[in-house]
Amino acid sequence: MNVSCKDLDRILERQDAAELAALEAHAAACDGCREQLALEREISAAARGMQRSWESPELWPRIRQRLAAEPRPSESRWSFSRIFEAWTLNWQVAAATAALAMIVVAGTWFVLMNNQPEPPVIVEPKQPPTKETAPTEVAKDPEPTRTPEQERERRLLTEVALGEVERAETNYIRSIERLSKLAAPKLQSADSPLLANYREKLLVLDSAIAECRAQLDQNRFNAHLRRELLVIYQMKQATLTEVLQEEVR
Amino acid sequence: MTALFVENVWSPPLATEMRVENPHDRSALTPASAPAPLPEAGLVEACRRGRLDAFEQLFHLHGPKMKSIALNLMGNPHDAEDAVQEAFLKVYRGLAGFQGQSAFSTWVYRIVVNACYDMRRRGLRQVDTVEPQAEAEEHPLDRASAPAANHPLRLALEKSVTQLSEAQRVVFLLYEVEGFSHAEIGAMLQISEGASKNRLFEAKRELRRLLTAERGTARKATP
Repeated sequence: MNVSCKDLDRILERQDAAELAALEAHAAACDGCREQLALEREISAAARGMQRSWESPELWPRIRQRLAAEPRPSESRWSFSRIFEAWTLNWQVAAATAALAMIVVAGTWFVLMNNQPEPPVIVEPKQPPTKETAPTEVAKDPEPTRTPEQERERRLLTEVALGEVERAETNYIRSIERLSKLAAPKLQSADSPLLANYREKLLVLDSAIAECRAQLDQNRFNAHLRRELLVIYQMKQATLTEVLQEEVR
Repeated sequence: MTALFVENVWSPPLATEMRVENPHDRSALTPASAPAPLPEAGLVEACRRGRLDAFEQLFHLHGPKMKSIALNLMGNPHDAEDAVQEAFLKVYRGLAGFQGQSAFSTWVYRIVVNACYDMRRRGLRQVDTVEPQAEAEEHPLDRASAPAANHPLRLALEKSVTQLSEAQRVVFLLYEVEGFSHAEIGAMLQISEGASKNRLFEAKRELRRLLTAERGTARKATP
């Protein structure tokens, strides 16, 4: 490796071992570089002598006094920490309270919405208005959370089903009325205690039918009332049949 | 919450010899005998809690080097001691911000260097115009640790060092005088290792130039 005086600073800056060795070899024959290399080493050696130590017995008591006069860092730190923790705790409590309040409000709303009577829906009659098919109120919706489209579809399907029931019911009632007309002469004469009892029973059944129908007029979708009405009609039919059979006997 | 506070304040003492009469009266924190030295992590935690005995241990561990750094940066022992005191206050106040990204000692030395810079900027002493040796003679400096204390080259070097730029001087002092590595210096001064090396080279080149010129002048003066 060829080294010249111009390379001195570059080699000293890079501190590469091979280049330093080459520089040493060059310095052996170069007074200027030899002097600079020697000065470099002397500076490092003399610098170590610049490290100072001296006794200062009053320094620590002085520092200690100043530190003691300072606000305690641990106190301030933990004060901040406590504030933060308190805030965190309050935040957690607040969040829990808010969540609880939301649950209570939602539950109350749900209960209220379920118990609240739904506004009556007027259904246009599909047949000429009769006692049975006159406009009536629609039963309340057991599931309030539906989209308007779903609600319309559900009501349509219910109306169709109810219409079929009402038509069958109307036909059934008509057939019973025909049966009643057949038994009417016998009952009007009531020439036997048994027929008189049948007449009394039919009056009670007609009264029950009227009462049940009045209730159904308020809620057309009440299946329980419709079943009761059907049972009463079946009893009336059975009674009329018995009256007619009595006549045959 | 109260229990947490009590637990933090009523932490166990550093050493069994410590006697705490009243935890709120820190003047009562007096060691009955020299406390057992703590590992650095324990020392940091104890200092964080504001324990003066931990700071005393810190002073005994790093105080000598802190004083030496400060003396070479400030130029006289009085200001050096003031800088060390200021550094301890800064350590005390700033320990909550110490996140352990560097060694605790490195962090402490950086604070000393910065304290010296701050004091110089405040102009407490015009150190650049003061002959270091003249002040040092008024202070009981123990030169026993520096066998070549009065060597002509050392005296010339001390004078030449004051003519370096601040950036060059601090790197030279930390590397050549105090023996820190370039990595440690980089951490202290928040510069790269390469920058530390470069500053050292520039400092030594400048010192060579200054000392060569002085030698030339001396040769000319000598008949």
